Amino acid sequence: MASTVIGAGITIEGEITTDEDVVVAGTLRGRLSAKEGVTIEHGATVEADVVSGSLVVGGALTGNVTATERVDLQSGSRVIGNVKASRVTIADGAQFKGNVDMDV
Amino acid sequence: MATNVSVIGRTTRVRGRVTGDVDLQVSGFVEGDIAVGGDVTVDGPGIVGANVRGRRLVVRGAVKGDLVGEEAVLLEEGARVVGDVKAPRIAIAPGALVRGFVQTGEGDAAPARAPRAQAASRAAPKGAPAAIETRADKPAAHLSGANSAAPRRPPPPVVPALKKAKGQIAKKKER
Repeated sequence: MASTVIGAGITIEGEITTDEDVVVAGTLRGRLSAKEGVTIEHGATVEADVVSGSLVVGGALTGNVTATERVDLQSGSRVIGNVKASRVTIADGAQFKGNVDMDV
Repeated sequence: MATNVSVIGRTTRVRGRVTGDVDLQVSGFVEGDIAVGGDVTVDGPGIVGANVRGRRLVVRGAVKGDLVGEEAVLLEEGARVVGDVKAPRIAIAPGALVRGFVQTGEGDAAPARAPRAQAASRAAPKGAPAAIETRADKPAAHLSGANSAAPRRPPPPVVPALKKAKGQIAKKKER
């Protein structure tokens, strides 16, 4: 259960820093820095650089991603930006434009 | 998933504006204006360092900034508010601390005195009295609205400034 939820209908313009899981279902512009998992749900819009433990994207993300564990781009997601993580999956049906760096 | 309620969790810090038309619960730290169409709850551990606007505001944590409720503002036990409070209905429970201009009623006219300077960028509520005191550009604020609170304020910390000034004068004499 995520402790921080940016629900649908909420817009945050600025910087978020947290030690908890974060679920974004609304809109975020700025920067997101989390130690644990970040979920960008279907219908969410994120225009921000994201630093996290793991990242699951179902919605729209524009920005560079750095994850210490893994990044999963789900079907229906739309991601523009560079992704850096040791494990990256892109599901069939995801839209993606950017560099992938798997730390090899 | 129940994402119709938005939560800023305990260890989460937000620097920036939070807007929207739904409910919001703040248990963490928000440094930036909050303006939502729904209810805003600032929980016990929550700290907000800017103005808050919403339909119903329930405060159990700390707010340094103005509170504007379209329906009501409820300051419950544990609330610490430094700023103006305005809503048709305002409740201040025993154990809530408030310092600022409080106005109930429907009228949407601004509070009588000038809008407070945005000292709210520094968020720690304990630092608030000093921040208000050092507003040298608005000396009238002490005389008009906040007169009753004035005698309880601690004297301004002038001693370090004096020492520094003496030192500078001494240096000039040496030259």
